[in-house]
Amino acid sequence: MRDFSYVRANSIEAARKAAALPGAMLLAGGTTLVDLAKCGVAQPETVVDITHLKGLDTISVDASHATLGALAKMSHVADHAGIKSHFPAVSEALWQAASAQLRNMATVGGNLMQRTRCPYFRDPSNFSACNKREPGSGCSAIGGVTRGHAVLGTSQACIAMYPGDLATALVAFDATVHLGQRVLKVDDFFLLPGDTPEREHDIRAGEMITAIEIPGSAAARRSTYLKVRDRQSYEFAAARAAVGLELEADGRTIRDLRVALGGVATKPWRARAVEEALKGKVLDEDTVRKASGLAMEGAVDHGANHYKIELAPRVVARAILKLGETA
Amino acid sequence: MTSQTTIHLTINGRDHSLNVEPRVTLLDALRDRLDLTGTKKGCDHGQCGACTVHVDGERVLACLTLAAQVEGREITTIEGLAGADGTLDAVQAAFLEQDAFQCGYCTPGQIMSAVACIREGHANSDDEIREYMAGNLCRCGAYPNIVAAVRQAALEVVS
Amino acid sequence: MTVHNIRHADSRHGDASDGAVGGRLSRVDGPAKITGAAKYAFEQQLDGLAHAVMVEATIAAGTVRAIDTRAAETTPGVLLVLTPDTIMEIKGASDWLGNPPTQKTYSPLARTVTYSGQHIAAVVAETFEQAVAAAALIEVSYDETPAIVDLSDPKAGDGIPIDAMTKEWGDAEAAFAAAPVRICAAYNTQREYQAAMEPHGLIARWQGEELTIWEPSQWLDGMARTYAEWFGVPFENVRLVSPYIGGGFGSKALALAHSAVAAASAKMLGRPVKLVLTRPQNFTSYGGRAATRQTVTIGAGRDGKIQSIVHRGVNETAVDGMWVEPLASVTSIMYATPNFSSKQNVVRVNTVVPGAKRAPGENPSAFGIECAIDELAHEVGIDPLEIRLRNYAEQDPEAKKAWSTRQLREAFASGAERFGWSKRSPKPRSMRDGHQLIGWGVAAGTYPVRRAYGEAIVRILADGSVEVESSSIDMGQGTYTILAQTAAETVGVAADDVVVKLGDSRYARAGVAGGSRLAGVMTGAVYKAATSALDQLVGLAISDPRSPFHALQANTLVVANGRLRSPRGDGPDVSIAELLASVGRDRIEAAGDTMPANSTAEDRYKNYTTIATSIPHTEGNYSRHSWCAHFIEVRVDEDFGTVRVSRVVSALDSGRLYNPKLAESQWKGGIIMGIGQALLEEGIVDRRHGRIVNNNLADYLVPTNADIPDIEVISVGIPDLHSSVLGGKGVGELAIVGVAPAIANAVFHATGKRVRDLPITLEKLI
Ligand SMILES: Cc1cc2nc3c(=O)[nH]c(=O)nc-3n(C[C@H](O)[C@H](O)[C@H](O)COP(=O)(O)OP(=O)(O)OC[C@H]3O[C@@H](n4cnc5c(N)ncnc54)[C@H](O)[C@@H]3O)c2cc1C
Ligand code: SF4
Ligand code: FES
Ligand code: FES
Repeated sequence: MRDFSYVRANSIEAARKAAALPGAMLLAGGTTLVDLAKCGVAQPETVVDITHLKGLDTISVDASHATLGALAKMSHVADHAGIKSHFPAVSEALWQAASAQLRNMATVGGNLMQRTRCPYFRDPSNFSACNKREPGSGCSAIGGVTRGHAVLGTSQACIAMYPGDLATALVAFDATVHLGQRVLKVDDFFLLPGDTPEREHDIRAGEMITAIEIPGSAAARRSTYLKVRDRQSYEFAAARAAVGLELEADGRTIRDLRVALGGVATKPWRARAVEEALKGKVLDEDTVRKASGLAMEGAVDHGANHYKIELAPRVVARAILKLGETA
Repeated sequence: MTSQTTIHLTINGRDHSLNVEPRVTLLDALRDRLDLTGTKKGCDHGQCGACTVHVDGERVLACLTLAAQVEGREITTIEGLAGADGTLDAVQAAFLEQDAFQCGYCTPGQIMSAVACIREGHANSDDEIREYMAGNLCRCGAYPNIVAAVRQAALEVVS
Repeated sequence: MTVHNIRHADSRHGDASDGAVGGRLSRVDGPAKITGAAKYAFEQQLDGLAHAVMVEATIAAGTVRAIDTRAAETTPGVLLVLTPDTIMEIKGASDWLGNPPTQKTYSPLARTVTYSGQHIAAVVAETFEQAVAAAALIEVSYDETPAIVDLSDPKAGDGIPIDAMTKEWGDAEAAFAAAPVRICAAYNTQREYQAAMEPHGLIARWQGEELTIWEPSQWLDGMARTYAEWFGVPFENVRLVSPYIGGGFGSKALALAHSAVAAASAKMLGRPVKLVLTRPQNFTSYGGRAATRQTVTIGAGRDGKIQSIVHRGVNETAVDGMWVEPLASVTSIMYATPNFSSKQNVVRVNTVVPGAKRAPGENPSAFGIECAIDELAHEVGIDPLEIRLRNYAEQDPEAKKAWSTRQLREAFASGAERFGWSKRSPKPRSMRDGHQLIGWGVAAGTYPVRRAYGEAIVRILADGSVEVESSSIDMGQGTYTILAQTAAETVGVAADDVVVKLGDSRYARAGVAGGSRLAGVMTGAVYKAATSALDQLVGLAISDPRSPFHALQANTLVVANGRLRSPRGDGPDVSIAELLASVGRDRIEAAGDTMPANSTAEDRYKNYTTIATSIPHTEGNYSRHSWCAHFIEVRVDEDFGTVRVSRVVSALDSGRLYNPKLAESQWKGGIIMGIGQALLEEGIVDRRHGRIVNNNLADYLVPTNADIPDIEVISVGIPDLHSSVLGGKGVGELAIVGVAPAIANAVFHATGKRVRDLPITLEKLI
C-alpha cells in the first residue's frame, strides 16, 4: 500500500472540502477502501476519515419513510426494529451481507460505493488490462474466468458485477441518495458501464453521501430478500432478489409488486417487466414463474456465467412465492 | 513520502503511544509494534476473521482498520479478555471444555467474535450461532464444537 | 521463550482418569491458545527485525528478461532488493528421500519461469509496510512462452506412465468383457489447497555460523537438514523452532523457496528477517492437491459381486518437479475382486509442484471407487450399503495378507443404525421437504498406518514433575496432550504434573508429522523413555542406601499419583520429590527410541531427516489400515441447485484412541474439509494466463460455520498392536477419505443426477 496522509474530518463541510482535493478519498468503514489500497487498486494520497463525524449515523423510521445516515453501520440498520418491521427486505439484505464483523465496520454510505469483486479488477500486478481501473486498457475478464460476472447491463468495455446487497433492496423501493445539494434515485445514482466503466456513480467532486431515504409502502412492509450462493454465508451472491408485494383485498390479486435483482447485473437492477406482467394478476405459481423469466430480457452471458440466466428468474419467482405464502 | 505520526491507542485498558505511518493497520500495529500477537493475521483482506478485536465493544476486523482511525476508542484484544487475575471469560472456558479449536490460529478471532455474538443477542439457536459466527473461518474444522461452546457460554452469561 | 511450558492447572475437565491414555483430557496447550499467550513461530519479537516480501512472476512460462529495481531501492526504509543476480549463492539440497541434489546450486529466485506466482525477487525493508510498497514498484519484463495450463489443455498430452503405480492381478480386461453387468465412468477432482489459517512464513536469524529459524513446521529435523545443506553449515548449527503451528494439512513439511530467501537475506544483511507470504502467495508458493482424473470400470454379476476392476488415473504435476498422487490406493484394497488392473500417468503442466494435502492419494482414489460402487448398486438394484458388504474384502486383496484389524463392518453397522439408513427410500428423487430434495449417501474410507521410528527424552524432576522433550510438533492434532497422558500414565503421575516441550529441533529428534504417523510413533517413544525413567526411579528407590525403601528389600515398587510404595502396601509411602531428595538426585533422565537396536548414528540421522526409512504398512504378515464409513444427508434446492449437508454420521476405526476428545475433533475436521472438497473448493485457472484467479479466502471457498451441520462421530476401533506400541492407528487423515463420494452419492439420491466432477456446484445441478 502506498503511503498517504491522514486527516480526520470534524464536520461534513470539512470532509467535503478535503475530499474534493485531488488524490483524496473518504474513509468510512474502510472495508472497501483499505482492502483496495492493499490490492494496489485504490491509491489515495490523502485519506479523509469521516468515522468520527457526529450525527451522520442516525437511523429514523416511521411508516412513511426511513432515513439512514450515511455513517449508519450495516449491522445497526439490519437489527433496527423499525427497519425490520417496515422494510424487512432491507434488514435481510444487510444481515446476509459480508460478516458480522464487516457489518459492524461498514457504513451504508460506503456500501453503495463498494467496488466490484471482479478478480481482474482487484489484481493490477497480474492483469494490467481493466477498463474500470485504467480506462482504455481493455477488459481481462472477457475471455477469462467469468463465473461471477454480470449478464445484464454489460458493455463491450466491462462486464463487472455490482456486488452490493443493500442497493438491490433500495432500488426495489425507490430509495434516494442524498448528496448534499442533490438528491438522486438510487436507480439513477448507479451508472451502467457503457464506454466509461470507471464511472460507477453519479457523484461529483466535493459531493458526499449524507443519507439514504426509503419511502415506506405496503410493498416494502411485505418484502423479502433472497440470496443464493455457493456457500451458506460470508459470500457474495450468485443471484439475489429483493421483492415487495401488496395484494388486493381479495388476498390473491397483485396490486403492487417490486422486484430488483442482483448478482447478475452491472448495477442494482430493477425488473420492471416482471412487475408490470404480474400487477393485476392472481398470484399463482405458474404465472409467477413465467413472468419471472422477463427479468432476464436482454441478458448476455460470457460462458461460465450462463447459469445466472437460468438461476436469477428462479430466485425472483421463489421470493415472490414466499411472500405470497406469508398471509 | 513517509509521514510518521504519533497516535495514542487504548488497548485492554492501557494507553499506548506509537509512532507510525498512517497506512499502518491496527492489526500490524498490534502484532509488529506492540507485541500483542494474540490477534492473528490470516488473510489481511477481511476474508477470514482471524484478526477480530473489539472496538468500543463491537467486533471488527483489525486488518481493515487503520490504527489512526481508532484513536480515542476502546480496543480489546484476546489478551484483554480474561480477568486481571487470570480468570477466563465464560467463552474462553467453554472453548477449552468443548475442544472448540485445534491448531488455535483462528481461535482468538473466534473467541472475540463469540463474546460479541452473545452480547449482540445473536446466540439464540444453533442456526443463528452458525450464521453469526460464519465470519470466522476455521480450517481445522472446529465448527460443531465452536457452536457447542458458544451455546454453553451464552447460557452461562445469561444465568 | 520459545516453548509453551506453562503448567495448566485448570486444563482438566471430568475425572482424574482423563489424564490417562485414552482419557478425555482437554488440550494442555489450550489455555495458552485461548488467551492469546501462545506465540506462534513467526510471532517472536526480535531486536533489529527487518521485514521481507516476495515478488512473483506474472507469467506462467518463459524467462525473466530484466528486473528493474531502481524505484524500489530508493523507497524509504528499503534495505535490500534481491533478484536472481543479487542473491547470495545457495547450495543444492537433497530431497526428502535423502537423494543427493541434482544441481550444485539452488536459486530460490527464478530466471526461468515455470508457473505464475513463482518467486523472482524479494524486498527487505525496515517495516512490513515499506517492504510491501517497494515490492509493488519492481518492474519485470519477460520473454513469454506458451504454457500448459492444466490437465485439459490440448498441449498436455497423455503424460508419463508411472510404472511403480501399476497394480495387476488376474485378468481384469477379460473378466470385465465377460461380466454380465458393466459400468464405466470418469471422475475428476480439482486443484485444492490446504489453506491453513496461518500463512507460511518464517523468521531467520544468523549468529555467526549458527542459524535459527522460527517457522511453522510439520518436520523440524527434515527442514533443518535442508537449511544446513543450503548454507553449507553443519546440521547441528541449524535450530528450527516451531512451538505451535496454525494448521498444516500436509503443506508445512518442507523448507521452500521463500524460506531460503529469508535465510539468505538475513545472512546478507546481518539482521534477523521476517517473511510471511501473503494469502494469494499461499496459493502459488507451494502445491495443494493435484487435480486428478480417473476412470473406474467395474464388471460384476447380477448379484452385485465384483468380478473385475479396471482403473486408470492421471494427476497433474509440475514442469520441473514430480508429484505422484497414488490414485489406486483405495481402489485396490477396498473390495474383494479376483481381477484387477490399475495404471497411472502424470501430466506436466505449468504449476507449482503439487504437494500433500490431507490423505494424498486415498482421498481422490476413494472418490473414484466409492462413487463407482454406488453406480453399480443403482445398476443392479441393490442397496448401496448392502453391495459394500457383499464385496467386503476379508483380507487385503492386493497384498493378500490378513488385515491387522478392520472394523469396517462394525463401522457400517453402527453408522447405519445411528443414521437410520434402513428408512432410506431406494429411488432417487423420492425424498423431499418443500423445495428441497433430500438425499442419503454412504461411502467408506481408509488410510494406511504409516509407521516410523521416533525418540523422546523423559525427565523426572526434583519437584516430582515430569518433563517430556521431543522435536515433534503439535499443529492441532493434540501431540502435547497425548504425550502428557502417555508420560503420566507410564510414570505414574497426574497429567497436570507433566510438561511437554515440543517444536524445537534441539530436543530429541523426530521424523515428519505427516501421514497420521506422529501419534503412534511418539506415544511409542515416550512410552519407552518413560518406562526407562520409571525403571531408574524404582531402581534408585530400591538400591540406593539413602532411600527409605532400601531396607524393604523389595524387587519392585508401585508408582501412582506421584507417590512410591511397595506393591503390598507395607513400608513407606513417599512422593517422588521426597524420594529424589532422599537419594540426593535433582533429576532422572531417560532417552527412549523405537529404532532397531543396532542403529548407527547415520541411521538415526537418515531416519529423522528423510522419509526413506518409514516402515511399509504391509510389512510382515499384516496389512494395516484405518477405516471409516460416512453416512450423509444432503438437501438440494430444486430451483437453485445449491447443495447443503444437513446430517453426517461417521463411524471410524482408528484403533485405540489416545484421547477420544481430541480424536473426535480431528475426525470432524477431516469431514468438514471433505465437505469443502465436495461442494466448494476448486482452484480456478485463467487459461490465457495460466494463473489461479481465486487465490484468496473470499473466492477460494472453504466451508464456514454456517455450512456445517452437527456431526456425529462414532469410534469403532479396537487396539491394534500390530500398528503401534499402544494400539492406535491413524486419526488425522482418515476422516476426509470417503466424504466427497458420500456427498456425491447423496446428491444422486436426491436428484437422480450423477455429478462426477468435483466440486458439486449449483450450475451442475440446475
Ligand atoms: C470479505 C468481504 C465480504 C463482503 N461481502 C459482502 C456482501 O456479501 N455483500 C455486500 O453488500 N457487501 C459485502 N462486502 C462489502 C462491504 O459491505 C463494503 O466494503 C462496505 O459496505 C463498504 O462500506 P465502508 O463504510 O467500509 O466503505 P469505505 O471502504 O470506507 O468506503 C468505500 C468507498 O466509498 C467512499 N465513501 C465512503 N463513505 C462515503 C460517503 N459518505 N460519501 C461518498 N463516498 C463515500 C470511500 O471513499 C471509498 O471509495 C464485503 C466486503 C469484504 C471485505
Ligand atoms: S469486467 Fe470490468 S472490472 Fe473486470 S476486468 Fe473487465 S473492465 Fe475490469
Ligand atoms: S486477517 Fe483480517 S479478516 Fe483475515
Ligand atoms: S483451530 Fe485451526 S483454524 Fe481454527
